[in-house]
Amino acid sequence: MATASSIRPPRAALVLLLLALSFSLTLAAHFEGFGSDDLHSAHADAASADDEDDEGLDVELPPPPRISLSTSTPSPPVTTTTTTTSAPNPNPDPNPTLTPPNSTPTLDLWDEDEFEGIPVPEAASSDESSTPAEAAPSDPAADAAAEAAPAPPRRPAELLRAYTVEIACVSFLICFLLNYFTGKRQNEAIALAWATRFATRDSIFDKNFSLLGTGDGKDTPLLMKEGQDVFKFYASGRRYCQGMLATMEMRARHDLLSKLVELVFPRKDTITFEVVMNEEAMDHVMLAVARKKAAKTMQKEERDLQKFAGVLTSAPAGRRWVADELAVVAESKEVAGDMITEAVLDQVLGDKAFEKFGKWFISLHFSDQLAGSYKKVLSFKFVLPDASNMAEMTRLVALVPYYIDLVGRYKLSNHARSKTEAARTKAAQEAFREQQGLRQEALQRKKAEKKKLMEEAEAKLSAEALRKKEEKERARQMKKSMPKVKMLRS
Amino acid sequence: MKEATSSGGGGGGGAGVNDPRQPSTARQYTPPKLSPQDLPIDYAGFLAVVFGVLGVMLRYKVCSWIAIIFCAQSLVNMKNFENDLKQLSMAFM
Repeated sequence: MATASSIRPPRAALVLLLLALSFSLTLAAHFEGFGSDDLHSAHADAASADDEDDEGLDVELPPPPRISLSTSTPSPPVTTTTTTTSAPNPNPDPNPTLTPPNSTPTLDLWDEDEFEGIPVPEAASSDESSTPAEAAPSDPAADAAAEAAPAPPRRPAELLRAYTVEIACVSFLICFLLNYFTGKRQNEAIALAWATRFATRDSIFDKNFSLLGTGDGKDTPLLMKEGQDVFKFYASGRRYCQGMLATMEMRARHDLLSKLVELVFPRKDTITFEVVMNEEAMDHVMLAVARKKAAKTMQKEERDLQKFAGVLTSAPAGRRWVADELAVVAESKEVAGDMITEAVLDQVLGDKAFEKFGKWFISLHFSDQLAGSYKKVLSFKFVLPDASNMAEMTRLVALVPYYIDLVGRYKLSNHARSKTEAARTKAAQEAFREQQGLRQEALQRKKAEKKKLMEEAEAKLSAEALRKKEEKERARQMKKSMPKVKMLRS
Repeated sequence: MKEATSSGGGGGGGAGVNDPRQPSTARQYTPPKLSPQDLPIDYAGFLAVVFGVLGVMLRYKVCSWIAIIFCAQSLVNMKNFENDLKQLSMAFM
């Protein structure tokens, strides 16, 4: 149940629960007050043995007199007498008129005052045990009010010790809130810098796509904010492709806790471009480029790469190839060679260029057999620079329209095509077989169910038939016996 | 400048002249449909619930405070505010 409620929609329920929690916290505070009072009264009793002798077994009684005592603290000699254990006893008698009004106030107040009256050596010990009880009010304002009420202020050191948890948590929450606003602004600044650099008038995406932004392209904002750390940019209306969606995933700058986690596991701002290609515009292209380690994991984890492609161990003969850090996962050498052109090597992926721009590059992944809702997708993953260095990724962003055109125009040679075709038909057959198996299983299950139903119906039916038969038999017998009667009568 | 290199390299002729834009094929963005089960697990919310229950059960106020902090985190990390705002305001009332 807990996991179920952890999913997003029940968040309101969560808030409710926390509200209830804070209620119960304050309630708990009262209860704790009770408990500690009993404790202290017991404490006091232990200290004042004479007390018990005089008052009998009544444990509840001794404290109230002490309230009256502490409220009448203006007279110092009386408080000093409290040090002697027998002091409370004489007092109840002298001022019974004072006790009734004073015993009525809430237990919390009564508790505080008790400690006021107690002399130093005992106060120190009792204070420690009292901290859980007193620190319970969760609201700092309430704390302040409670402090203000008793006339003699307590030493700040004691207060600090009593409210350590509250102070720590409230200050953390304040930091959290401040960080939320500053982090949010930072993330927005980066996203806006990106948008102004690449998506405003006469910028690269404006020249390539006729529709920018998630709206109808007239007066809608370019960026869509999906969370405090996720921004999306959509563009459409270009040859060869249906649309492009850029998703910026920022570091969770708005979340102080995640920030702390990121100290240990550092993350980077990333941007992912996903271009959905037109059905007819993309031939059998399966290619991925990433750093060696990442390429290997991609090859293992992405289903399409796993099925159709392998890591290229050597470069095509007689050609300049990608930087040493990079690995290429492709279906065939021909596709890889045609996709990674001289221009790309010059701009980004070659040795020299990669030295400079490699830090912004994460991966490329082109596929015509993707598992999701769209099959033919080009995806580019880059690191997002700071708001001030946005120009540095211009070359990388330029790869996007470049590859849309390149892949859109690309046609495999007949030889390679036959191979890829074979692989795809094989995969399709496998998928079909798998599906068929599933379908057959479902069919069989259905059949079994039907059979079961039929049998049940038959059983019911046969029971009914039996009954009918019996009835008929009885009727016949009755008929048989009837004429006899008639005969007898006649 | 990038445009020139990209169309030059890709086209091999005549690509730079044409405008790649095709307004007729533009289609509006349709957000992908997500079912509640597909969303990533809200760990902060989960921890908030766990600590909240612990705080109530064991009367550890530290637990309750931690729950409040995690609740704040989960609120902060919430996506798509339009969806939840109504529920939230109702919850607060």
